Amino acid sequence: MENESTLSDALLRQLMAVGQVDILVGLPTLNNASTVVDIVRAVHESFTRDFPRLRTVLINSDGGSTDGTPDLIRDASFVAADMVQTSHSLRTLHRVVAPYHGLPGKHTALRTVFAAGELIQAKVVVVIDPSGPATTADRVTELIGPIARSDVEFLAPRYRRHPRDGVLITQLVRPVVRAVYSVGLDEPLGAEFSCSGRFATHCLEQDIWSHEAARFAIDLWLRTEALAKEFTVGQIWRPATTAAGARTSLREVVRQVVLSLVESLRTHESFWVKANGISGLRTWGTDPMVMPDAATWDYQTMAEHARHDIGEIAPLLEEVLEPEVIARLDQGLGVNARLDDELWVQIVYAIAAATRLGRTNTDHLVDMFAPLYMWRAAAFMSHTASESPADVQARLDSLCETFLRLRPALVARWSVEV
Amino acid sequence: MSQEIANALLQSWSNFATAFVLFVPRLVAAVIIFVLGLVVALLVRRAIQWLLVWLDADRLARRTGASEMLRKADMPTVEALVAKIVFWIVWIGFIVSAVDTLQFEPFRGLVAEFFRFVPRFLVALLVLAIGFLVSNFLWRATLLASVNAGLPGARLMSGALRILVIAIGVAMALEQLGLGTAVVLAAFAITFGALMLGLAIAFGLGGRDAAKTLIEQQLRARKERDADAAPHL
Repeated sequence: MENESTLSDALLRQLMAVGQVDILVGLPTLNNASTVVDIVRAVHESFTRDFPRLRTVLINSDGGSTDGTPDLIRDASFVAADMVQTSHSLRTLHRVVAPYHGLPGKHTALRTVFAAGELIQAKVVVVIDPSGPATTADRVTELIGPIARSDVEFLAPRYRRHPRDGVLITQLVRPVVRAVYSVGLDEPLGAEFSCSGRFATHCLEQDIWSHEAARFAIDLWLRTEALAKEFTVGQIWRPATTAAGARTSLREVVRQVVLSLVESLRTHESFWVKANGISGLRTWGTDPMVMPDAATWDYQTMAEHARHDIGEIAPLLEEVLEPEVIARLDQGLGVNARLDDELWVQIVYAIAAATRLGRTNTDHLVDMFAPLYMWRAAAFMSHTASESPADVQARLDSLCETFLRLRPALVARWSVEV
Repeated sequence: MSQEIANALLQSWSNFATAFVLFVPRLVAAVIIFVLGLVVALLVRRAIQWLLVWLDADRLARRTGASEMLRKADMPTVEALVAKIVFWIVWIGFIVSAVDTLQFEPFRGLVAEFFRFVPRFLVALLVLAIGFLVSNFLWRATLLASVNAGLPGARLMSGALRILVIAIGVAMALEQLGLGTAVVLAAFAITFGALMLGLAIAFGLGGRDAAKTLIEQQLRARKERDADAAPHL
């Protein structure tokens, strides 16, 4: 059984004391002392106020925090000193704090949460991001509700962003996932989500947990797995956010995301090569409408670095990209960053197909991709610097359409027998 | 006196005739072996080429980068190259056997020598092929890692590493063949040692300040290059 190898003896004992539950809220942490107390209170307020008759548990899966995060969670009072508790749960409010075992990383923390959920037969599993937007009881309830009360089995967050924000999402991950998986998913990388116990058990059974895809960007894999295995996926509006807590450099993040994307494409190829069109997803919650300001960053310097790096790796790119694509890329490497949508899509699909053909080492392909992404990101920021958010959004929609239009080229190249 | 001369001539002629009678069949046999060897080698070459095409060896060559390297060196495809090598090994085997059939004193034991050489030759080829593959892989890895780390002279560094690994491969292959072992090893050791010593002196003594500045610049540049991922997520 999956649980036996994933859960420590101490955690097993605690879970046995908890027994069966309806709702499990998982809180994977690593040095999140500044936010966890408020999260614990929000979760318990949600349990007490909105689900008093259901059996609930909050499980903290800690990756070895050195700032006392587990102690803070263990000792946090259920209510803030200035808060009057107006309702009481009819059930015991369980709280389990345990370090996870295995490779460090969010994927191991999630695996522990899923394994615990399977053991105590949780019907709803919610994962809260301790470094994400401030968690309130309402927001916890919003994540639980659709899974508990409808047929949706995976609920992904949807954020109201400035269209110039989250360039890696808008220029790569979102359009690729939309075009390839044929579904209008907004946030393939969001850290918080909720899912059914059935989906959590399904994930535990997959041979992914030791793969790089899980280690690097488990959030992406969870979403694509839900889509590919035809679980009902929905979205929920979450508070406006600007990405925070990125602890690695951009190049490393690009590398991780692309590796995960490629692994997802490989794993789900039998699904997506046959898929076509694009279907919408039901969205819960209310669109916050308030759009945060766009993040500012030095894209001119990034363009300079990217131009230099692309020149350096030109002999490698020539082995992967068509001569016509190389020629157009060279033309665009002028003073002003330029890389049009169609060329960008051709590059992305060529690299993706090359990972399938196996002529070049996947790690090398992913490393080649980082400067190309930086060039595209700089070009996008440069072109949209003086455009209104509506115009930029129109550009993003157009990019998604280009990815979708050129999708047959990816399918054709991917389907070549190797 | 004249009788003795006649006897000597007769004896000489008799010896020549005997030797000729003994040599002609060996010559005919050698020619047959030579021609047969050519035919067999051509057949083997064709069979090997067909087998490699059937096994899709080109795909493996493409995946390992060997195909690209052969193309750049104006060499034939991997199937044609392997078939050609096998052709020459087989035909040279027959040629050596033909020469041995002639029983010329200087070439005695040539066949045994040849069959001792063939395995060494094959191992040398293998060493060379692995050397090329490793050099290619390291070249790519170093180039990408250096570029993404923002190191200066990424192409120069990766190219130098590639040449170094190929040189090691060639030295090992030549050593395997037993060709100028001492010279090759000495030349390699001297060149490699001189290069490393030169670098050590240049970087450690002569260019200590420059090295310090360069490292500081690199660390600073790397920090600048390591753009924050947050606005991209």
